[in-house]
Amino acid sequence: MRQLFPVETGEVGAVVEVTALLDEVRSAPALAVGDERVVDFLGRFARALLAPAVARAYPELASLGFFLRRGGIRRALARLADDELRLPRGLVFHVPPANVDTIFVYSWALSALAGNRNIVRLSPRAAGAADAVLDAMRAALPGVPGVPGDPVRASQRIVTYDRDDAVTAALSAAADLRVLWGGDASVRALRRFELAPHARDLTFPDRSSFAIISADGWARASQAERRAAVEGFRNDVFWFDQAACASPRGVYWVGGSHAGEFRAMLAEVAADPEPAMAVQNRVGAYGAAADGRAARIAFDSPALTTLEAPDVIRDWLGAGVLTQSSVSTLDELVPKVVRRDQTITHFGFSRAELIAFARQLSGVDRLVPFGSALKFAPVWDGYHLLAEFTRIVTVTV
Amino acid sequence: MSLLAELTALTAHHRARCAAYDRILTALGAGGEFESVADLPWLPVRLFKTHELKSIPDEEVFKVLTSSGTTGAPSRIFLDRAAAAAQTQHLAATLQTVLGPRRLPMLMVDTAGVVQDRRTFSARGAGVLGMANFGRKHVYVLDEHDEPDVEAVRGFLARHGDEPFLIFGFTFMVWRYLYRMAREHGFDLSNGILLHSGGWKKLADQAVDNATFRRAFAADTGLRRIHNYYGMVEQIGTVFVEGAAGDGLYCPDFADVIIRDPVTFAEQPVGVPGVIEVVSTLPRSYPGHVLLTEDLGVCHGVDDGERPGKRFSVLGRLPKAEVRGCSDTFGAPAA
Repeated sequence: MRQLFPVETGEVGAVVEVTALLDEVRSAPALAVGDERVVDFLGRFARALLAPAVARAYPELASLGFFLRRGGIRRALARLADDELRLPRGLVFHVPPANVDTIFVYSWALSALAGNRNIVRLSPRAAGAADAVLDAMRAALPGVPGVPGDPVRASQRIVTYDRDDAVTAALSAAADLRVLWGGDASVRALRRFELAPHARDLTFPDRSSFAIISADGWARASQAERRAAVEGFRNDVFWFDQAACASPRGVYWVGGSHAGEFRAMLAEVAADPEPAMAVQNRVGAYGAAADGRAARIAFDSPALTTLEAPDVIRDWLGAGVLTQSSVSTLDELVPKVVRRDQTITHFGFSRAELIAFARQLSGVDRLVPFGSALKFAPVWDGYHLLAEFTRIVTVTV
Repeated sequence: MSLLAELTALTAHHRARCAAYDRILTALGAGGEFESVADLPWLPVRLFKTHELKSIPDEEVFKVLTSSGTTGAPSRIFLDRAAAAAQTQHLAATLQTVLGPRRLPMLMVDTAGVVQDRRTFSARGAGVLGMANFGRKHVYVLDEHDEPDVEAVRGFLARHGDEPFLIFGFTFMVWRYLYRMAREHGFDLSNGILLHSGGWKKLADQAVDNATFRRAFAADTGLRRIHNYYGMVEQIGTVFVEGAAGDGLYCPDFADVIIRDPVTFAEQPVGVPGVIEVVSTLPRSYPGHVLLTEDLGVCHGVDDGERPGKRFSVLGRLPKAEVRGCSDTFGAPAA
């Protein structure tokens, strides 16, 4: 495998053997939960992500940048304060999905903050934003390349290798916690590699998400509020080509519909797709109609295809293919929600309405306003990540 | 009947017999009348990979063709007896325009093995097998180990090289094996008629385009009667054949092409590249009469070449959509 982080000057992607890697990482100086040296490093990393050039090219990284600033980290650490003694879990092996370039940073950064030694396996297919993240991480490293003694450099590794069962088996066997992102098939495939008896998996399997809009709330909103909502929704949909687990696949209008106005506003702010995606969108939309899952297809703009459907279609159909459905009340929506549903983006509801709704649901881990679907939070898929990345030690006298 | 009238009738035919097709057209709000061929509703060709679309009952399925797609699921195309027969007839009629009525001795630029196992009906095997019907006394350029068989070709040319003969193969194989062999051994192919297909992608890195290909064959082997053609398993029996001068591909009279803007899908004017839509009256057993391919092409002109109709070229594949969503890392191979 090749090591992508840290790297010595001019040596991006040096070849490293798995046993040597594990020896080095295991012998790194220990870190504490919330270790100041890690906090400093993450702060510098956050500034690099928020640099104008990076933020322009990869707006989705800005959300991570904001979180990793000192204030965000302090708040996240404060959530652990009431607990008893918190210690790092040890060695954490992360396997992020190949095609979300940046998702690995979220779990890795929190795991590092928890004081763990981390090995992240990036797919050789990762590119683009992943390179921007690696550059920012390299720029944030303290100390001098090649000089031992810096615990961040010594304990945090990002590597890449093509499918290699021996390497995956060795890294799995050495891990105290394994973090598996990606689809159900990835999670199943990786679970074939044994963990140590005491270790366990933290999995992020296939999920799906949708949006809800209150017709009353929409009617009450000013033109500026509506425009802001539509722009936020546009980002939720298009930043990851609608394929992120948190990207809405469709909209439910509750208690009436202003879908016409909403669709027209959205069509105005959505950028034209790449040709390959334009074709994919037709394949997805026509396929849904062929299956009888969409009664009507409308092409609102080259970027936006609307499917009239009684229910959200949870498959990925292409970027900008959105179902529009209607229910008269949130209660009517309750039985349509399934366990794999992850994020509901909402507009026009009160907190009390949303809480009453959420209490009835058998799925769904987050309800967030339009524009926040892809915003990283230290609680994800129902897990309090910092808590997952630490172990609780009780000391009784 | 005009092409538009036939295709309009065919659209109604498929709507009445293929419920999934009817659901798509209903969802699109398509009516029953169309002002031009370009107004007909099209299906993306990939839909034949994701969905089983047929306009015949299961018990009338005579043959299922599958594409050789290297990624993802293959297309499945369902033919009844009538469709299978029509496909062969129309292919013959189209090819006769360049081959003439006689079956000629035929040099196959492939290995005999590619057609031996007829159960694994790959697109390459199907193509070779389909084309074999148009010649006789077949000789294969590659032996059973896929090695060039110089003596077989030498023997073929000794027997048939003084009269017209037919050569068939996939473009990159014709270049890699036949051209190199003929140049190296000084073979005279000047009485040959070459039919080739499969695209230029594998030759692009060797900087071989159609003009280079034609020039090199003419200069080094004497072969000048060269016809590239374009066709696909999803519209089997319909082929678009290059004119003798190499000025573009032509449509048979039962078919047409529309070049579409790859983002808005509006019809492109002459000279502007876009996605190729292929239109044919042939598919009656499955709703494949109007298909948007994933190939890029350009229309060079209409009724201004050696034959009537549109002249067009295929420019290559549309790049695949790169998705950035949270999906599989270690799971199934990337589709």
